[in-house]
Amino acid sequence: MRPSLRAAQAPGKGVALTGLRRVLVLALRDLRLEVRDRAGLLSVLAFFTVMLFIMALALGPEEGPLRRAAPGVLWVALAFASTLLSTRAFALEVEDATLDDLLLTPGSKEWIYLGKLLFQMLLLLPLGLLALFMAGGLFYLPLERGLPLGLTLALGMLGYASVATFYAGLLARLRGREVLLPLLLFSLVVPVVLAAVRATTGLVEGLPLEEVASWWQLLLVFDVVYLTASALLFPVVMEG
Amino acid sequence: MLKAANPDRPDLLTWAFLGLGLLLLPAGLYVALAAPPDVNQGYLVRIMYLHVPTAWLGYLAFFVTFLYSVLYLFRQDPRHDRMALASAEIGLVFMGLALVTGMLWARPTWGVYWTWEPRLTTTAILFAVYVGYFLLRGAIEDPELRAKAAAAVGILGFLNVPISYMSVKWWRSLHQTQSIDLTTGRIEMEPAMLQALLFNLLVFTLLYVGFVRFRGFLAAWEARKEEA
Repeated sequence: MRPSLRAAQAPGKGVALTGLRRVLVLALRDLRLEVRDRAGLLSVLAFFTVMLFIMALALGPEEGPLRRAAPGVLWVALAFASTLLSTRAFALEVEDATLDDLLLTPGSKEWIYLGKLLFQMLLLLPLGLLALFMAGGLFYLPLERGLPLGLTLALGMLGYASVATFYAGLLARLRGREVLLPLLLFSLVVPVVLAAVRATTGLVEGLPLEEVASWWQLLLVFDVVYLTASALLFPVVMEG
Repeated sequence: MLKAANPDRPDLLTWAFLGLGLLLLPAGLYVALAAPPDVNQGYLVRIMYLHVPTAWLGYLAFFVTFLYSVLYLFRQDPRHDRMALASAEIGLVFMGLALVTGMLWARPTWGVYWTWEPRLTTTAILFAVYVGYFLLRGAIEDPELRAKAAAAVGILGFLNVPISYMSVKWWRSLHQTQSIDLTTGRIEMEPAMLQALLFNLLVFTLLYVGFVRFRGFLAAWEARKEEA
């Protein structure tokens, strides 16, 4: 049984959920379902690990080339893994035919997008941290500047997830979504991947933070623009 | 751009734009070939008279797609969706032409057809975004959902243009590239060359308006056949 949104509401109060609480409840419900199911999460993890291993194997045993390729490999692997995850944002809703219930909830629809986005971020951030440690181990990626690297990770993942969640919702009812989603997504998020790779490379090479900051700026601009546009478009596209 | 919901044939204005564009095209070609050769590039510079207008039309067409996509989402009028489609299609063709002419110019100038320079890369990505636009359109049967999804991609895809542009700027502040700055080159251009370029820009824009209106009419015709 899937816990319904109403069950999460405080008993006896009968007050409609406010926007922020709705976002939180939806994200936590999805997270609970995802963790309880485990199969999806584990397959993404396994895919990611295998990919890193194959890339490390293909790039050879020498430390130099591996270290140089590390930021690129890290972000491409993350992009692939999060594409697998993004289809999961709406897959269960379609499988269990609960998407319409969700859309029929009174009030505006932005909170559905934001809730799904929060759910994606809650999954992606731990995955990204894990990926960082694995890249550190397998690709000799130096992790001394942990905090700036973490910031790059968070900004990059947010930019990616904001578009991925939107497209996942848009394509949720389509049959060929598994193929279409990466096709549409990758071309659109190339600036994010590019900026994130550049920022990571800069941090790894020991560039001063001011120089890396311009990449963070770009990531931030991308995040804000795509988040706003997606949140505004989502209700229009999903209705009817 | 098209007034009637179900036009029987393209209207007079469409024919006027198309006719004027096609008529002036040889004149544009003549001006481009008569323009003086460049000090550094010689006669090679004449590719520019084709390259710059096609690239400009690519951007313009994607902007028009963006506008009609926004309009469609607010008004839900199938006409707006058809115009967005028409403009995206023509934009894709002109963007492809811009890429090809750019490559033809790059081979003798840089020695290679393709290099991973920011402007080339972002243009290629833009091209890919609109290829995705048509893949999406092809994948959805339901006309209303198709129009909505396409509009969303038309809007989000266009946002990539300014962001890509800024990424070029930021990239340049960090990395030195061998690219030639077109914006400063245009200001330093000789009057005769500038006039030739502006004339070609005008001719191509006229052609674009004619093409879009004609394609919009064809799309309306197709939609009517689909219904019938």
